[in-house]
Amino acid sequence: MVVTTRNNGSSNGLTKFWHRNGRYIVPPIAGFLVFLTIWQMLYSIGAIKLPGPIDILSDRNSQILILYPFYDRGGLDKGLFWQTFESFQRVMIGYTCAAIVGIGMGIWVGTTPMINRALDPLFQFLRTVPPLAWVPISLAALQQNEPAALFVIFITAVWPILINTTVGVQQIPQDYQNVARVLQLSRKKYFFKILFPSALPYIFTGLRIAIGLAWLAIIAAEIVMSGIVGIGFFIWDAYTNGNVNEVIISLVYIGAVGLMLDKFMAWLQTKLLPNN
Amino acid sequence: MTVYVAIEQAGKTFPLSGGKEYIALKGIDLEIGKGEFISLIGHSGCGKSTLLNLIAGLDGVTEGVVTLEGQYIRKPSPDRMVVFQNYSLLPWLTVHDNVALAVDEVLGKLPTKEREDLIKHYIHMVGLDHALDKLPGQLSGGMKQRVAIARALAVRPKLLLLDEPFGALDALTRGNLQEKLVSICESTQTTAVMVTHDVDEAVFMSDRIVMLTNGPASNIGGILTVDIPRPRHRLEVIKHPSYYTLRSEILYFLNQQKRVKKMRARKVAVVARHGLEKVNLELGFVPLTACAPLAIAKEKGFFEKHGLDEVNLVRETSWRGIADGLQNGYLDGAQMPSGMPMWLTLGGLGKNLPTVTALTMTRNGNAITLSRNLYDKGVYSLADFARYLKETPEKHRMGVVHPASMHNLLLRYWLASGGIDPDRDVELKIIPPAQMVVDLKAGSIDGFCVGEPWNFRAAYEGVGFTVATDREIWDGHPGKVLGVREDWASAYPNTHIALVKAILEACVYCSDPANASEITHLLAQKEYVGTKREYIQIGGPELNSCDLTTPMREYAHHQFFGTNVNRPSRTEHLWQAAQMARWGDVPFPRNWVEVAEKVCQVGVFSTAAREIGLSEITYGKGAIQMFDGASFSAENPIEYLQNLQIERNFTLAEIP
Repeated sequence: MVVTTRNNGSSNGLTKFWHRNGRYIVPPIAGFLVFLTIWQMLYSIGAIKLPGPIDILSDRNSQILILYPFYDRGGLDKGLFWQTFESFQRVMIGYTCAAIVGIGMGIWVGTTPMINRALDPLFQFLRTVPPLAWVPISLAALQQNEPAALFVIFITAVWPILINTTVGVQQIPQDYQNVARVLQLSRKKYFFKILFPSALPYIFTGLRIAIGLAWLAIIAAEIVMSGIVGIGFFIWDAYTNGNVNEVIISLVYIGAVGLMLDKFMAWLQTKLLPNN
Repeated sequence: MTVYVAIEQAGKTFPLSGGKEYIALKGIDLEIGKGEFISLIGHSGCGKSTLLNLIAGLDGVTEGVVTLEGQYIRKPSPDRMVVFQNYSLLPWLTVHDNVALAVDEVLGKLPTKEREDLIKHYIHMVGLDHALDKLPGQLSGGMKQRVAIARALAVRPKLLLLDEPFGALDALTRGNLQEKLVSICESTQTTAVMVTHDVDEAVFMSDRIVMLTNGPASNIGGILTVDIPRPRHRLEVIKHPSYYTLRSEILYFLNQQKRVKKMRARKVAVVARHGLEKVNLELGFVPLTACAPLAIAKEKGFFEKHGLDEVNLVRETSWRGIADGLQNGYLDGAQMPSGMPMWLTLGGLGKNLPTVTALTMTRNGNAITLSRNLYDKGVYSLADFARYLKETPEKHRMGVVHPASMHNLLLRYWLASGGIDPDRDVELKIIPPAQMVVDLKAGSIDGFCVGEPWNFRAAYEGVGFTVATDREIWDGHPGKVLGVREDWASAYPNTHIALVKAILEACVYCSDPANASEITHLLAQKEYVGTKREYIQIGGPELNSCDLTTPMREYAHHQFFGTNVNRPSRTEHLWQAAQMARWGDVPFPRNWVEVAEKVCQVGVFSTAAREIGLSEITYGKGAIQMFDGASFSAENPIEYLQNLQIERNFTLAEIP
């Protein structure tokens, strides 16, 4: 009796779960499978020269890459996890610098109309320069691969943070300003109790856009800068050696990390800004 | 009352793009006493919030000064806490922390414990103990505003400024919160200034209500003192006799302002045609038998005949509406009591508004009515009335329609000649004509002096009797005149002549007994007098006085046209100026010859009369003979004033 009920319950629960979430799970999986099938078919009829999914999975080299992401044979010969991790570290350093500088400058520019007028055209100009275009400049300026890569990350990520912060500070509602003026709040209190909380949603939007851009930039930067551990250079190296399989597997890593970074920022935003 | 906040000649101008500027406020003078609750009321865009911001220091004055306890207000300060319409709570701080932010910053010198008590105390005061740790987003609008009020009061400001604090709330919440704030302000003796557009809110909460005129260059249009005692409760306040008076006073003001706005928004201000400078005229009148010439000119096409194609008659309920309409410029001209042009010129509205008349439209048509009650007590004459007043110590009230109306002047003259001081022995109240009979019936007045048909109606309904007709007091006195502003008359001289011609022809039409029934029928209609036909009498009476037993039956006595009727008379206007000065209403003009010359536009009348072929009518120039044997001539009015027995000390002034 009891067992039956339990069985009933669990099967009910599963049905319920399926009933509720099925339409959100099935379509993405189906879409993915269709994509892989078309790819495989295009390869089979010879329309594209890329290896198909089945070939990639059956290739010995690919299998090692997929199954042993943590191997480390020294030098540049490391597993995909380590390659990605190196790139990720670079992004984090560059991005952190960009966040500090971007938010700081943004608040300064946003609270000082004169500075805003002076610098805004320059910012608008610089932010349209593509990340790759910064690579030769940073290489020429810094002479070394590592700092140059960090600089490219920084310069790519800083603009959205800076500009969004500026706007956020400028958009502080007049009501809050009036409250601060009537209470004669000290600068410190004004900053922490009004300015920063009020601009925070804007700052977050900037941070979220910037993390995506930073991740895009690191790949581009590493492709150009040879001789460093990192997923970007790994792709480039595989390509020059004719290992298209490896390139494709790396892409999966890059995409996954990019997606995770964005989701993480979104989650952080909901945690820190429950109102929005 | 010591002055706490003083605003002197304050003005605020905002720069606009393109180098222009917008004058929001100009010449604001206001003094606020400690503990007073002041409301600022006016239409949107009248600058009431700007004025509040000037007091708050959120905006600086561009001229004049604003002081609090003698200190200039230059910037905001927690001394003058503001409660904003949209609450202005910080959404990332809890109720407690929002209040704490203010308290900690302003009263940071107090020990932590004391501050914490203060925060709790004020949150408790607005009844939000249960919401202490909630974020503003979790509260209703009314609760948010209560937090804002708590935050404002918790820093113990010298002055509480409220910018439409209840504007965004639903009616029920608003009512509760008003009551709450009133009781808080009463118990804490807070001085407060509140911006509102809610008339009931203003009356309920304030000690004084400041009414602002429309922008640009808004000004204080009037200040009302609310004499309702505190502590106040909504249900009791609306029963107070002053409540509806104040309410209707504010509504009247706001309505006036609305009409001014409408007039300013009109696309074509002046339509010139047929060689006339302006043919679109707004003419004001008050529902009385005496408005017949205007009604006839409109209905029988006399306006069109003289080229005035677009005349619109505007029905005003009181003479005050006429005076304000002329002052604010939304009336081009109006039927007005014969004393009004002089009264406006001499500053009856508080400032000189030079007004002229070129046509007397009616004479006579007024009478003094006393209540049936007095008749039953044996009061049949002026002497009886004087005796009766001496015997009964309680206050007796009589109604007149306007300080400048002949009714007021005749009644005062009549009372004074019987030894009754019209200010000390009785109280004269201003009541719109159409309301007189109702007031007499209700017993709130003992008598009145008013134009027909209202005396007739009081007699007809048996609530009063005619104790004296104007023919007994001064037969042929001027009744209603056509009045226009002096600047209007000089801007549109040909229009003025055409207008006089049209109405003069209508006067001729009205004076023909053959037309009497048609006119009666016309006037009884809703857009004119709006009363029963029986009450309107046009034809002339046989007798000068009426039978006391059947008062006013078959008695009416308007003169619309004839010898000595229509031409404006300087002597008469000077008599009125002298009477108004006698009762201390306006100063007597030192340059009276010049003023009388200006007010009476005899030239315009003569031209108009000649052009319609009425030049053979004669006009006498003699002195005015009154019923008590006194006479008045234009030779020496000041000596006349000096020889009067009953008078308020009159003053002399040079009138520009």
